[in-house]
Amino acid sequence: MNLLYILQNLDRRILYVAVAIVLSVPLIIRPWQHPAKDTIFPEVRQAYDTINNVPKGKIVLLSTTWGAGTKAENEPQLEALMRHMFKKHIKFAILAWDAGGSEITWQSAQRVAKATHAQYGRDYVHLGFKTGVTIAIASGLGENFQQVFNVDRNGTPLSKLPAVSYVKNYKQLGAVVDITSTGMMGVWIPYLTMPKHIPLIYCPTAVMAVSAYPYLDSKQLSGMLNGVMGAVQYETLIGRGGVATDASATSWALSCAHIYILLLIVLGNLGYLAAKRAGVSPGGRRIG
Amino acid sequence: MSAWAGALCIFGIYTVLYRENKCYRLFEHIFIGMYAGYTVYVTWAQVLKPKWWDPMTAEGQWFLIFDAIGGSMFYFIYSRKHAWISRVVFGLFMGFSAGGIFREYYETYFPQMGSSMKSFATSTGAITLGHVFSVIVFYVIFIAAMSYFFFSFEHKHPAVTSTAKAGRWFLMIGFGAMFGSTVMGRMTLFIGRLNYLINVWIKGTVLPEAHYPAFYIVVGVVLAVIAASVALYFSFRHPVKKTED
Repeated sequence: MNLLYILQNLDRRILYVAVAIVLSVPLIIRPWQHPAKDTIFPEVRQAYDTINNVPKGKIVLLSTTWGAGTKAENEPQLEALMRHMFKKHIKFAILAWDAGGSEITWQSAQRVAKATHAQYGRDYVHLGFKTGVTIAIASGLGENFQQVFNVDRNGTPLSKLPAVSYVKNYKQLGAVVDITSTGMMGVWIPYLTMPKHIPLIYCPTAVMAVSAYPYLDSKQLSGMLNGVMGAVQYETLIGRGGVATDASATSWALSCAHIYILLLIVLGNLGYLAAKRAGVSPGGRRIG
Repeated sequence: MSAWAGALCIFGIYTVLYRENKCYRLFEHIFIGMYAGYTVYVTWAQVLKPKWWDPMTAEGQWFLIFDAIGGSMFYFIYSRKHAWISRVVFGLFMGFSAGGIFREYYETYFPQMGSSMKSFATSTGAITLGHVFSVIVFYVIFIAAMSYFFFSFEHKHPAVTSTAKAGRWFLMIGFGAMFGSTVMGRMTLFIGRLNYLINVWIKGTVLPEAHYPAFYIVVGVVLAVIAASVALYFSFRHPVKKTED
């Protein structure tokens, strides 16, 4: 029997097992070198330059709107940015708009801080979970930072945390980074970054990245990390191109997945054409 | 213990790939319940307590009680007799949002309209072949896509119909790029869970031998044999039918 005919009626669960096997290989091997090491998207480099140019005495606000669902994409972005800022001694504050994300970003920050010998309160703070009218919070923090965030996630007053004790309003904000799976960009742009001329870096999941290019073109965004590929390229820029990281392994796995899907598309179409030509019933069947 | 719990939950949830089953439903409900409960706790501990309860009870800001009164007005929507009370706060928020839309529209789209008027010269004033070509491509796609959405008069003239048709093709290409990114995003989520299973659960907890390459060669061969067997089983179980015509 022609193999191409068999593929027409292949059970989708076999494809799932095959996907798992294909994706597992790079995750097991964990290559030391990042994929396409010399390829850095312009928007990723722009994000890197924006962070590099944050003036002394200003902090970066890391807004995180993601939870466990998109951890694989958003966490590498957050970690790469934090490493860069710890390295450059740029102080930053993490703000979580997702309850689960508040805990995940806290653990992530502690892990990176430990690896880079950074200290909580001195080098960074975590403002905890915030909910309510987002536009009021985004607009209000630019006017009175200490009133909007009076305490950090542990209940410590911000006035006792050197990293942010001097932050009064938007004048002490060097950049805002929106790491998101839902798109808070529509809040930051009109209520804080555009009116106050603060650079905004956008770190969406890959599915959202395509629609952000007009914003880059109009300079409403000062850089973007496109999903996990953006995180890997950022890691390369901060000198971690030769380190076996989760982001690196993920991007290798992603490349394998692309090749696998392309192969399936080609085989599926070949099978369809061959079956049609031979007069054999093409197409799938019900399963489960 | 946490690694085992995590692995169990992942396997439980992914059983849905085989078919809808009770095990999947159990873990789905565990996740939803835990997340809802955790959100309630975090909202109290990180939002309501420091921003409302503590200032009101310990710092003398008694007037914050009006926040509770205003917030509780939302719940009158469940009373047919007193629903008008909820409409007061709903109206307030609708007005608040409607006012915000003006500003959002202005700050979001006006700069993009401006940036759509591209110059044939680069930012340094130089005119290069590559840049001019890029700008021409931009304008062609821009005008074609806009003409597709132009409904003020009927598309009758060949120039308009062909431009709108081209616009539809360009839009389809754009949607295709978005869909490609969607596949990439979904794969990444699966990779995240696989990474946990391989590098946290297996390597860290279950099998320390998994750090050696030989282990994976053996596992790979076993998995390949299983996959091939399953493939052959399903192939012969459902033989390909000849079409009647």
